[in-house]
Amino acid sequence: MNALTRKCLLPALLAMGTMLTLPALAEDSVNVTNLSYRTGPFAATGTPVMNGQRDYMLMINARDGGVNGVKIDYQECETGYNTEKGVECYEKTKGQSIVTQPWSTGITLQVLPKSNIDKVPILAPGYGFSPMADGKTFQWAFNPPTSYWDGASMILQDISKGDLASLKGKKIVLLHLDAPYGKEPIPLIQAYADKYGFTFQAIPVGVKEMQNQSAQWLQIRREKPDYVLMWGWGAMNTGALTEAVKTKFPMDHFVGIWWSGSDADLKAVGEAGKGYRSISWSYPESNSKVMQDIKKYVVDAGQSMLPKDEFDYVFYQRGVVISMFTVEAMKAAQEHFNTKVVTAEQLRWGLENLKLDDAHLAEIGMTGMVPPFSTSCADHSGHAGGWMLQWDGTKFVKSSDLLKPETEMYAELSKTEAAKYAEANKPWPINEDCKM
Amino acid sequence: MLYRTAGQFKTSYEADFALFPVRQDAILLGVILLFAWVILPWSANEFVFQTLLIPVLIYSLAALGLNLLTGYAGQLSLGTAAFMGVGAYACYKLTTIFPGMNLVVAIALSGFFAAAVGVVFGLPSLRIKGFYLAIATLAAQFFLVWLFEKWAWLYNYNSSGAIQVPNMKMFGVYVAGPQATSLTQYYFVLAVVSLITWFSINITRGRIGRMWKAVRDMDIAAELVGINLMRAKLSAFAISSYVAGVSGALFVFLWRGAAEPVLFDVQLSFRILFIAIIGGLGSIIGNYFGALLIVALPVILGIVPDALGVPIRAAVQEHLNTMIVGALIITFLIAEPLGMARLWGIIREKLIIWPFPH
Repeated sequence: MNALTRKCLLPALLAMGTMLTLPALAEDSVNVTNLSYRTGPFAATGTPVMNGQRDYMLMINARDGGVNGVKIDYQECETGYNTEKGVECYEKTKGQSIVTQPWSTGITLQVLPKSNIDKVPILAPGYGFSPMADGKTFQWAFNPPTSYWDGASMILQDISKGDLASLKGKKIVLLHLDAPYGKEPIPLIQAYADKYGFTFQAIPVGVKEMQNQSAQWLQIRREKPDYVLMWGWGAMNTGALTEAVKTKFPMDHFVGIWWSGSDADLKAVGEAGKGYRSISWSYPESNSKVMQDIKKYVVDAGQSMLPKDEFDYVFYQRGVVISMFTVEAMKAAQEHFNTKVVTAEQLRWGLENLKLDDAHLAEIGMTGMVPPFSTSCADHSGHAGGWMLQWDGTKFVKSSDLLKPETEMYAELSKTEAAKYAEANKPWPINEDCKM
Repeated sequence: MLYRTAGQFKTSYEADFALFPVRQDAILLGVILLFAWVILPWSANEFVFQTLLIPVLIYSLAALGLNLLTGYAGQLSLGTAAFMGVGAYACYKLTTIFPGMNLVVAIALSGFFAAAVGVVFGLPSLRIKGFYLAIATLAAQFFLVWLFEKWAWLYNYNSSGAIQVPNMKMFGVYVAGPQATSLTQYYFVLAVVSLITWFSINITRGRIGRMWKAVRDMDIAAELVGINLMRAKLSAFAISSYVAGVSGALFVFLWRGAAEPVLFDVQLSFRILFIAIIGGLGSIIGNYFGALLIVALPVILGIVPDALGVPIRAAVQEHLNTMIVGALIITFLIAEPLGMARLWGIIREKLIIWPFPH
């Protein structure tokens, strides 16, 4: 009996042991965890972006077998846009994931001061604190390809048709979410107003009043502004669009930031929303090589969580672009450090040395989906610029050439805000090696 | 057997009124304290500190503050989160106006601001009771959160509108801010929570506590036996808000590191009310049980599928988690409507007579 047990059980155990350990040893992989929000009040806008991010990673694994042979172990940790859950997810994943994508401004605020200590890069594409672009101060935070201040600058350029002086005497209202995110552009637009002589007024929408903005729109009707800009999110976007339709505000004088440009929001008003514009640093190109590959390897293979009709959505393909930043940073880091499995610190170098020029974008099949840009140790944003997208009643189309932000307008402001942050959080290390 | 009380004689009134008339209770508390002070901190990792130990302690403290008011003095309040916010913002202003101030002093002082605000919003309790009072405290909740958003002086006019905790040292060690280690923060929180718990146990057993209980059970009768209702109710508001304020300051300074006004929204008030109700109104230990159920359990449930290697989507897991916790809350309340503290009381009584029940 004893001998029998030894004869049969031992090999069986050994076999089981190898079965369990082998897959882990057989291939190299890196963990990329996204602090997703597919539940909660902002799920409707979050889910398409999360789907895009996930599908790009799955496509890279399926098509190329990972990044130069290193599989991406893409995971999600659900936060529901709740700060407390976000911190829980951050603590849970910081040892494994080579990058943190906090998503909500609340979570970014919590994670940002810890970045110097935990040494995990924060990737906050197109959101977060605008001065994060100052790479010398915020060594571990990245907000490529453009910041909110870039967005404000580009919107003003577009509505003035490139001649900011023509805004003199005009009245511009900013309808914004009353949260750190919505307040972000106020100092900059105020500076523009002082310089070019237009009247600027900020109208806040509290988180609780997002769905019922009749008071704010009554005020807008009274003020009769020439343009309404919107920094909205989630339910606030649909709320504002329906009110604008109801009060017959001219849609072509209503312009939103990139988070106020979701197809789902505009579908709610449909034809009535025709003319509404939203500045964007990404553009859906469903026929591009990368999107066709995603269709082939992920969507048609039944691996995607995407609802059928959302493939052309701006937000879905923006998620694809965001994952591309991580993958390209990994490639750069692999080459520079001559290694396969990159660590969080090596990825930081990669994110700091992104070179996405036209040739490279063409090579990865993303021409026209994101403006070309590059980052450096001093510039963690790249200030790539963007396009104005206009709703034609059924979908968003490009309505402008590539717009470039006037970064010199707020270089000073960015420096002082970054210095203020470093001062309030001292001891705060500044990257002295960066001589740019 | 384990809880045999036979042979433990009380020969004086002091012995009869002692905090632990049964010796095993004292031993049990000793074991819990040993765990809290020695075993847990030396075996916990960063994740356990940040998502289980520290938040459970802080939420228990907030629930304790509410329990003093609702459970002991019978005044229903829905404004706990706002009073916590007052404590947090007061602590932020104190530490930025006087940068050298010791954090313990700042936290202790910020409780007084919360107490003062609590007393002001407690004034309606002199005229109205029950649900009507709950509505009046709800006004405090909405007004104060609105104030945190609009009064830029409170957050030093910074552009994000949120408060950020600076790095702060005490005796050469970082205790708050990103540089502080979780272990220091845990000990700091644990010390404050232990101290306030000890203080609360004594206050509820003493003259003031009896006064509150009399008001809670029947305020007219209490007035007839000579209790000053105004003093009883307002002292309950003051002490409860003080504790809530301290927990709010700890919440932001020793745990979160940054706070937006929305953090102190009515949802937080409800969460704390649930902790107090599920834990057991009118008990001290119940707050800890409640916090374990409401704060710690979802986190633990969240790591179970990973630990077992079950492939499950993050969103599905989140939904499952909500369902399980919800079901457990209902189960506990059906099993014992008076809360988990009462459940523990029943278990303890059964243990005392076990194995020979009458």
